[in-house]
Amino acid sequence: MRSPIRIVFEQRNETPKHLSVLVPLLSVVAALVVGALFLLATGYSPLETYSNMLSDGFTSSRGITDTLGLSTVLICTGISAAFAFQMNLYNIGGEGQLYLGMIGGAWVGLAIGDRLPTFVMIPIVLLVGSLAGALWILLPAFVRSRLGTSEIVTTLLLTYIAASLVKHFVYSPGSFFVTKNSAFPQGRLVPDSASLSGIGNTSLYPSFFLVILIAIVLFWVVKKTEYGYRIQVISDSPRAAHYAGINANRTTMSVMLISGALSGLGGAVLIVGPFGRLDPGIILLGYGYAGIVIAALARNNFSAIIVSGILFAGLRSGGDKLQISTDTPIHIGVMLQGAILLFALGGEAFRRYHIHAVRTERATQ
Amino acid sequence: MTNASHEVAKGPHHASGAAPSALSAHSIVKRFPGVLANDSVDFDVLPGEVHTLLGENGAGKSTLAAMLCGLYQPDAGYITRNGERISLSSPRAGLQHGIAMVHQHFRLVERFTVAENVILGSRDLSYKLNRSELEDKVAAVAESYGLPIEPGATVGDLSVGQRQRVEIVKALYQGAEILLLDEPTAVLVPAEVEKLFENVHAMTKAGKSIVFISHKLGEVVEISDRVTVLRNGRVTGHVSGRGTTDTKELARLMVGRDIELTTQRASHATGHEVLQIRDLSLTVGGVSVLSDISFNVHAGEMVGIAGVAGNGQRELADTIAGLMSPTSGSIAISGSLTTDRGPIHARELGLAYVPEDRLGMGLVPSMSILDNLLLTRDRRVVVDRTTVRPEATRLIEQFEIKANGPDHMARKLSGGNAQKVLLARELSGGRTATKLLVVCSPTRGLDVGAIETVRALLDDARSAGQAILLISEDLDEVMSLSDRIFVLYRGSVVHETPGESAELATVGAAMAGLKPEGKS
Ligand SMILES: Nc1ncnc2c1ncn2[C@@H]1O[C@H](COP(=O)(O)OP(=O)(O)OP(=O)(O)O)[C@@H](O)[C@H]1O
Ligand SMILES: [Mg+2]
Repeated sequence: MRSPIRIVFEQRNETPKHLSVLVPLLSVVAALVVGALFLLATGYSPLETYSNMLSDGFTSSRGITDTLGLSTVLICTGISAAFAFQMNLYNIGGEGQLYLGMIGGAWVGLAIGDRLPTFVMIPIVLLVGSLAGALWILLPAFVRSRLGTSEIVTTLLLTYIAASLVKHFVYSPGSFFVTKNSAFPQGRLVPDSASLSGIGNTSLYPSFFLVILIAIVLFWVVKKTEYGYRIQVISDSPRAAHYAGINANRTTMSVMLISGALSGLGGAVLIVGPFGRLDPGIILLGYGYAGIVIAALARNNFSAIIVSGILFAGLRSGGDKLQISTDTPIHIGVMLQGAILLFALGGEAFRRYHIHAVRTERATQ
Repeated sequence: MTNASHEVAKGPHHASGAAPSALSAHSIVKRFPGVLANDSVDFDVLPGEVHTLLGENGAGKSTLAAMLCGLYQPDAGYITRNGERISLSSPRAGLQHGIAMVHQHFRLVERFTVAENVILGSRDLSYKLNRSELEDKVAAVAESYGLPIEPGATVGDLSVGQRQRVEIVKALYQGAEILLLDEPTAVLVPAEVEKLFENVHAMTKAGKSIVFISHKLGEVVEISDRVTVLRNGRVTGHVSGRGTTDTKELARLMVGRDIELTTQRASHATGHEVLQIRDLSLTVGGVSVLSDISFNVHAGEMVGIAGVAGNGQRELADTIAGLMSPTSGSIAISGSLTTDRGPIHARELGLAYVPEDRLGMGLVPSMSILDNLLLTRDRRVVVDRTTVRPEATRLIEQFEIKANGPDHMARKLSGGNAQKVLLARELSGGRTATKLLVVCSPTRGLDVGAIETVRALLDDARSAGQAILLISEDLDEVMSLSDRIFVLYRGSVVHETPGESAELATVGAAMAGLKPEGKS
């Protein structure tokens, strides 16, 4: 019998540095190739589509501000996911926490917005949105830290409830969140004191810089503080944490709450930013889910999330505009997002293993 | 097999003439960032032979063994099996050539049963596992080598000695002809070692080859047909012939000087009571683990706890360290009760604790030496690494830790060097000046030179007035260091004796649960 060729996965003792950059890059490229196949199969020119996307997302000045504007919320959900992932806590309900952030932000804006000045109101909206996001993960965090219940299931299920809440608040007649006597149900705009205006009339809002700052601070917290140290010990060896007197339950709880708050902040950012109202359209956009992909692509590194968040925002905003300007299939941007996640996760194999083909010698026994 | 004889002639040992070596390494080089772990190493093992690798901590023994079994690939040089050149791209390739290794740190899935662990990685399993049949098969293999194991038991519930047996059974089940044993006896008690050696003899008689790694020189003399000494990655000596050498000569070959492990006891009268244990009982999951233990440890005194592993030692240490809450009774350090108040409180009262379990409990594998030193200290809100760095460098020097510096990751240290980091941290004081030192098997896995150093440090700590509780399965160590000895059997203190007048036979009998004549 001829010896067959086998693919061998050999565990790496050490991951070469360049692979940590190369693998995410190649996953994006691979996703673009898959996207191109789909475009070809459906009769569009991939080259033209991509170059349109590129100019709409990254090269024109309008495109750049749109991209950075959209990246604000995506970086929020990205750091939200990464903050939990780094401790092996899989909060995949960032989407739902984001809705709650919107509900909370819109609520406080509508309730007390016209009584307070902008510089007080904006922080209040962002804070209440964050708290609402944290509230939405409170139950999963509690049962996870006390009973060990899988947060993957609980956070995901709560997302569906959050989506229903959004619809309820917008579509139920006489709701606090909607305009009275309007022809079709629509969220009420928050007063001016609770909304920012885009920088130079673009869709880039000052909240972008706040979010960048938060990402950098989190990077520092994880690398330099006692809290980050504790997270690292618990995620690597819970028994060592126990030995050192580190309270894993409490840290689990707080990490999940912070993760929820960051997604909630993403929702509130939309209230003070472009949306200005509770809008059920958010449910179709999947910004919370995108955060999972952004975190995975950046391998939970908070400074890398800024880059991958902006990259994603470019793909998304470029893709969205394509629908308007050309007749390219809807959601090519979303499809690329999914493909990137698959390739980024698959790419982990290349980082961890040396993969090569060998001709097997059959053991003679 | 055409060039077999040619290959063999190049081996380091050609006294055996025509018989090709079962496995040999030729001018193997292995480099890690900052260290040359193996530098042109030649090594071979003949069929039916026990060939021992001896060397200081970090000499490169585990690295060489890892290349012989396919876990690492050499940077230069090659490996031959029965004279034929082979390339081992993975441990599975090693297994296909009949080479298996039992690692220093076990590689078992704790949640799986013994049988599941043993068959893990087998290629010829049917889609649907027939558990009872597999368990019978595993039990049969174990039986045939006289290695009693319970195939249905969950590995997480087993003692280290039992886990090691599982590793060996796994290797044999997979059809290993050459077994690499990396410090197999470090975690075994004398009776288990004896049993292991019986197995080794049975295996060599059946023509299997054993590569043996150990720091226990007495064992090395007893079991080895040949010994190769490694130092800083290079072969520095060979000794051959069973019984023709002695431990002193081996020690000299290893560290370049004579080592004398002496008996040490408190030089002056002991002080006040630092550790007070009263009627301590502990029940875990309905099983009584410790019952009615009462004793004190005084300042300037070392109390030794002897006993066969699994008789409550680990739980006793964990309870004193505040990691477990006693079911009844009390513990006080320097007069303050620590019961139910957690490990940080105990440390604030002056406790330092070297647990039995190194990597994973005492040390965080993915963290640097520096960060590991911070594990049991007060870290402030913003971790202050810059002021600890010089201390880390000093400790690395003082304990002769082979590392690239304070940023060396704990996981990438050799077994003995990881142990040294743990000892360095706990012996150098933490939150407060150490008053009570609880050490479990402090010299396990250390080379003779390091054992001498650590024993001297423990003696210094005692002279400085610290109270020391030494918990060890190494009876020699307990007997030659302790001022008082307690024997723990099934969670109770069954025997107590002053260290000076302790008799090996009496203590040994007590450890085995035989009623000693005169209980003091
Ligand atoms: N994965 C790794 N990455 C970097 N350095 C390593 C790695 N593994 C081992 N080393 C280094 O290589 C050297 C040899 O290590 P090795 O584990 O072979 O020693 P050893 O002889 O088995 O020692 P011990 O008796 O302490 O177990 C050490 O200096 C160690 O720090
Ligand atoms: Mg070793």
